[in-house]
Amino acid sequence: MGSLAQADRGTLSSVLEGGAFMGRLRGEGVERPRVDPGLAGGLRDWLEDGLAEVVAGVPLRSGPVRVTKEALNQVLMCESHFVARRDAPRTMTAELVRGALVDAVFRQWVTVGRVVDVFGEAMAAMAVEGGRDDVIGFVEALSTGRRRALADEVAEHAAGIISRWTGLNPAWLVRSQERLLVPLAGGRVVLSGVIDLALGMPAAERASVCVVEVKSGRRRVEHRGDLHLYALMETLRSLSPPFRVATYYTRTGELDVEPVGREVLVGALHRVLTGTTRLCRLAAGAEPTRTPNPLCAWCIGLPECPPGQDRASTDIPRMPGHDVGDLDDDQGGESEEVER
Amino acid sequence: MIAMRLPRAAAVTDAFVTRAQRVAAEALHQVRSDLVSSLVPLAAEIPSGERLVLDSYKFSIARRRPELCSEPDGAFTMSPATCRRAVGLAAVDRCLRRSARGPLEAVAQALDAGEQDAALAARGEAPGAPWWARWYASLPDGARAVVHAEAALWATQLWTALSWERFEDRPAVGARDDWFDLPGGRCLTLKGRADVRARVGDCPALVVVANAAPDAGWRSTLVFPAVVACLARGDRAVPVRVMGVWPASGHVRMVAVDADVLERCATDVVSAVAVWVDGLIERRNRGRRPTGVKGS
Repeated sequence: MGSLAQADRGTLSSVLEGGAFMGRLRGEGVERPRVDPGLAGGLRDWLEDGLAEVVAGVPLRSGPVRVTKEALNQVLMCESHFVARRDAPRTMTAELVRGALVDAVFRQWVTVGRVVDVFGEAMAAMAVEGGRDDVIGFVEALSTGRRRALADEVAEHAAGIISRWTGLNPAWLVRSQERLLVPLAGGRVVLSGVIDLALGMPAAERASVCVVEVKSGRRRVEHRGDLHLYALMETLRSLSPPFRVATYYTRTGELDVEPVGREVLVGALHRVLTGTTRLCRLAAGAEPTRTPNPLCAWCIGLPECPPGQDRASTDIPRMPGHDVGDLDDDQGGESEEVER
Repeated sequence: MIAMRLPRAAAVTDAFVTRAQRVAAEALHQVRSDLVSSLVPLAAEIPSGERLVLDSYKFSIARRRPELCSEPDGAFTMSPATCRRAVGLAAVDRCLRRSARGPLEAVAQALDAGEQDAALAARGEAPGAPWWARWYASLPDGARAVVHAEAALWATQLWTALSWERFEDRPAVGARDDWFDLPGGRCLTLKGRADVRARVGDCPALVVVANAAPDAGWRSTLVFPAVVACLARGDRAVPVRVMGVWPASGHVRMVAVDADVLERCATDVVSAVAVWVDGLIERRNRGRRPTGVKGS
């Protein structure tokens, strides 16, 4: 059993091993909260009512306003930053590539319980998934030495996954990369996300699903907001909230676990309402507001943003070609899928 | 003791298995006869050498993205997304037969069985293998894991959508699709697909698993396999009810099949075929146009 610390209110952050790790995730010994049958409907009505006016201003031709965790984080930080990101070509970074490969290893491990050639198998996953040419191209363009360093790094993350994620019971109904879609306002707003891992079956009496996000990068304050968003979306989708949400940091082995109560869901709802209102205003053609913040120095829109330049004391973004969002390791899995 | 009953699975299944009246034979005859007589002239316009197989996907494309009907068909590509349904259905069937402890394990069994069949078939020791099996067998481990994960997700979503013990008879999971060749030339075929075929009393009822969230045409999408069953297999095969499940959005919709519902869907089928025939003609004309001459 490893160390255990109270990271902040309601969240237990810990580095655990074996049964204790899985026990924390599954909340063993903790009574699961009763499901309030009116909760999901109430949250949905609240969202629908709160968005009705602003959605009416969005032209129909512009299509649905997609609300992802990335869009929400960006637009809440600075509308101008969101627009700059939206309009810029996607730039692949080492962090994103590592995140994609570690996600693939994690998915393979929780699915088949076997990983031999970590890097080769993760790359094979990228090749078969489709839409991952950017990752493959990035890796192929690396020098032999840098590619080996990346492979070593991914293998290190994989070792932690393999040592901790043991004993997954088939009855827990492991689902990886599960897509969530919550259409609102007649489909003119769509909350959209992909859960890295869900365990447990939505139940009528007691909340019993655990939602896990996997991060290969460092801890970031947005991660809790991302999880709260997914908790809200899962509640709206299945009419039953998850009983806990967790972030697993593959580099350190830390597992942040947080119970999902009404406050978490209502907090997420307020965040969604504020962010979606901004996204709708922008979709209706409003000028984006500029909100200088500590991350302006990394913003891709910095060269065209005088307030950001004042804040950052420069007009040259740090890490040229990279943006603040790229400091994260998660692409969000938001690629469109086509199925026959 | 933690109750593992799904929030909706029991209620949804109870509603699904409620007895219902069959559509009257005369009404079915009328739907069939009207539909065939509307399709015959359309099929006659299909360019020679072409064959239109209208399945749920093409039916939906004609209504949502008609501009795509005149574009060349993309080559079919094997991928985890394209084979997750087939593997997932085999897995849910194994779960129903209690040969696996859950969908994840059932998918592993289905994939292993498929791979073995492919190997036997390659040596001429088995009549065949599932269509995805040779491709799956050719993949490295990392890619196989993605196939496994995608199929397990799909299977889990179907497995948890229903309370299977509430069915009187074990439903058929992934049973054969219905095919209807329009008489006189076989250039137009309608293909009806359902993921679960169950009995409600002595009547059939269908479950369809769909992607994303229901769109404006969800009702016709659900009724389409009922119309094809009506054409292909006669009165007794027409379901009394079709249920759609959209796991990503959590939507569940049910349509009671009656004469009006069938007629409305048949009208949509005629429109969809017309859109596709126009598209095929446009493709043919584009192919004949001299290089460098732009279309109007």
